[in-house]
Amino acid sequence: MSKKLFNLSINGRDEGVVAQPMASLLEVLRDGLEVNSVREGCSQGGCGACTVLVDGELRLSCLTPAGTVEGKAIQTLDGTADDARFQALQEAFIEHYAAQCGFCTSGMLAAAYKLLDANPSPSRDEIVEGLSGNICRCTGYLPIIEAIQAVAAMKIKAA
Amino acid sequence: MSIKELNVVGKPVRLRDLETHVRGQTEYYEDTHYKRMLHLKMHRSAYGHANIKNIDTRDAAQSPGVVAVLTHEDLPGKKLWNPMGAFGVREDEPVLAFDKVRWKGEPIAAVVAETPEEAEAAAAKVKVEYEELPLVLDVEEALKDGAPILTTWGFNQYPYTDDHPETRVRFGDVEKAFAEADHIVEDSYQTKPIEHAPIETTGCIAKPDGNGRYTVHTNIQALFFALDNVAAILDVPAASLRFVGGTVGGGFGGKVDIQVEPIATLAAMRTNRPVKFKYTREEEMRISSTRAAWRLHVKDGVMNDGRVVARKIISYQDAGAYTRLSAYGTMKHCGHMPGPYSIPNVSVDAHVVFTNRPPSSAMRGFGVMAGSFALECQMDKCAKAIGMDPWQFRMINAYRDGDTKAHLKEADDTYMVETIQAAAKLAGHELPAGFQKMTSMDRNGG
Amino acid sequence: MLNLLVPQSTDEAASLVASHAGDLRIMGGGTNLLRYVNKTGAKHVMAVSGLGLDGVQKPDHGWSLGAATTMTQIRREVSIEALQDAAAGVGGPAIQNMATVGGNLFAREPYGDVAVVLLALDATIVRGGDKQSLADFYAEWGSGDAPTGLITSIDFANPSGGVAYVKRGWREINSATVVCVAAHVTQAGGKVTDARIAIGGVSAHPVRCAPAEAALKGNALDTASIAAAAEDAQKAVSPSTDSVASDWYRKRMTGVFVRRALEQVT
Repeated sequence: MSKKLFNLSINGRDEGVVAQPMASLLEVLRDGLEVNSVREGCSQGGCGACTVLVDGELRLSCLTPAGTVEGKAIQTLDGTADDARFQALQEAFIEHYAAQCGFCTSGMLAAAYKLLDANPSPSRDEIVEGLSGNICRCTGYLPIIEAIQAVAAMKIKAA
Repeated sequence: MSIKELNVVGKPVRLRDLETHVRGQTEYYEDTHYKRMLHLKMHRSAYGHANIKNIDTRDAAQSPGVVAVLTHEDLPGKKLWNPMGAFGVREDEPVLAFDKVRWKGEPIAAVVAETPEEAEAAAAKVKVEYEELPLVLDVEEALKDGAPILTTWGFNQYPYTDDHPETRVRFGDVEKAFAEADHIVEDSYQTKPIEHAPIETTGCIAKPDGNGRYTVHTNIQALFFALDNVAAILDVPAASLRFVGGTVGGGFGGKVDIQVEPIATLAAMRTNRPVKFKYTREEEMRISSTRAAWRLHVKDGVMNDGRVVARKIISYQDAGAYTRLSAYGTMKHCGHMPGPYSIPNVSVDAHVVFTNRPPSSAMRGFGVMAGSFALECQMDKCAKAIGMDPWQFRMINAYRDGDTKAHLKEADDTYMVETIQAAAKLAGHELPAGFQKMTSMDRNGG
Repeated sequence: MLNLLVPQSTDEAASLVASHAGDLRIMGGGTNLLRYVNKTGAKHVMAVSGLGLDGVQKPDHGWSLGAATTMTQIRREVSIEALQDAAAGVGGPAIQNMATVGGNLFAREPYGDVAVVLLALDATIVRGGDKQSLADFYAEWGSGDAPTGLITSIDFANPSGGVAYVKRGWREINSATVVCVAAHVTQAGGKVTDARIAIGGVSAHPVRCAPAEAALKGNALDTASIAAAAEDAQKAVSPSTDSVASDWYRKRMTGVFVRRALEQVT
């Protein structure tokens, strides 16, 4: 199929992208728009490194054809500047060493953010379930869980 | 210097790279987007062991979007190489296979095209005529008479010396000590290959600067090491290459094999365009190196008072099809034997064996981990054989500062005894007074 | 690259399926399909996410799940624990937001656990006006690839008895399936009047286990009948080996997990 012009809303901005409709949103974000914070780990839906928000919900951009998200609001890490709870998560990740190589971090933060959004006082088991779609090969997960627990304890209101 | 003067040790340090990680601003090799970049996909061996009768790339070359197809005939310099060739390690691995393949997945032809999909479709059109050969998959079977031979030197081992291919440690007289020992404890151990499975797959982008120099963005764990090897393989001055690292998205020793940089750089040279060679997740799991599987046969002579008086180890590292870093790994392995213990009689025969498997390579604790696993299981078995607490058994045998190790280096900064004492305290394991007073500074102290 | 079709109505979707037949694959969330679609030889992928096919309805005494209902929606809106657990097991939160119940019917091994529960619940597939039992659908499975029509909903009656779902995976959460078992057992007067035992991971699609069901019917649901059913199930299955588990292990686990499912059915 030949390329088409898509209008995608990325972090509140309308972006025109020329791509094949079956090109993944991951490819369109990275190669088309140079949004490097979204990362490719597997393109199989197994690792979560490519996680973004589509209409406010967690989605794997590697398995989302670009042609299916026209007209939807797409949000990446780069679109979170004003969110106090997100900033608290970022700070907590730094303080608790919740990253080493950093490759999984964008996806982890997205999952952590949505977890606290749906469940502001999660149990440890609920945190683990909330992160279950994101693989980390470096930290062993404990510092990530601790960072989320620390932010949950702060009881920050959603932006 | 007293403890209270330390400003960093013992204090939490804010790591700079975490600041960029949480903002999604950490730069990985793939984050540089070049215009008119080409994509390289590799046609790989379908068999674990076969002679190559013919490689036909014509259909691949005519496939839509294809700009170049590279085989061994396109190599400007070396056909065979090894990452440590400059250190005298035998150069046994084809850059691209020419007469034989020795593992399923071995690279044969590189297809360079405008898109990854076109490169992959074209790579499937490369036609290779094989003459299948029998496989050898077990390290000890590989050393028996009549085993299929992988190497060009007639036997399936890395030849450390002309007298004996295995590398050896000889310290004291193990046979005499076994004869005098109260107990003999003997067992065999086998570890499996372990895949590093980093979230970021192996990859690089090679780009012509336009003046005979090339910039290579790569996630290799050792930039200058990779640069030197690519210069040697492509027969260009090192000064013509600039290797730029990104943060490595998980290495663990798995991104040291320099498998993508040479051919991507060659492709950039031939096409005069940036070329990206990135492993898919399947390639990362199946093709990229693993920690080697290791087999160890350990025989210990133990006295009733807790001393291990002799340890004999015969080990086999499964290097897979080519040497890569395995010769180095087994050297490290021997340096670790017989473990962190002072044993007066030690014999080690450490073999690097070739099998028809993906070449293995480094992973954290290269050469040491499989050995540690075997030796610590063995220590527990020895302690059980004489009815002694395994903590105490280790403390009796732990090396002390000033002890001579089996490979004749002097032990220094050992602290094994103190570490065990601290661990025992944390674990709530009672040690008798004499053991609580032991020290690594002096065997007779405490 | 494949062609993407985004029909604007279920009529348009149905006619695209009819006209393209084997050249077309239907995409729910794409979480299973997109991983292998390039190897099917198909030319078109048809997305059904915008057709209003997601949604949980509760007609009299039963449920109607729109084919594009996601796992997240099932967990939130379908108060049958076995289905909620199966939906939770397909993957992490993002996958649960994307994966659809319709897609799960076609999910290749080692996935498709929600379909296993639906088979135990005697679900019916609705294609526009046509209805077909899920059991018949799988009986006609063939290669299971090309769609034979547009599934609009999956319907089933409220379970009359106890329902249980158990899974052997390699991780506690978000794991591929070694085997899974869904059981729906109805009892009266201390005897089993009806039993549905569906097993996943032992075949190309979910299967009912008639011998195990027969071992229960007419008997009390006790240690003896459960053991007999488990043994019959283990004998009946012929799993294959893949990167997740070997055939002998799947066979062994079939016996273990049929027993566990029946022990949990209340």
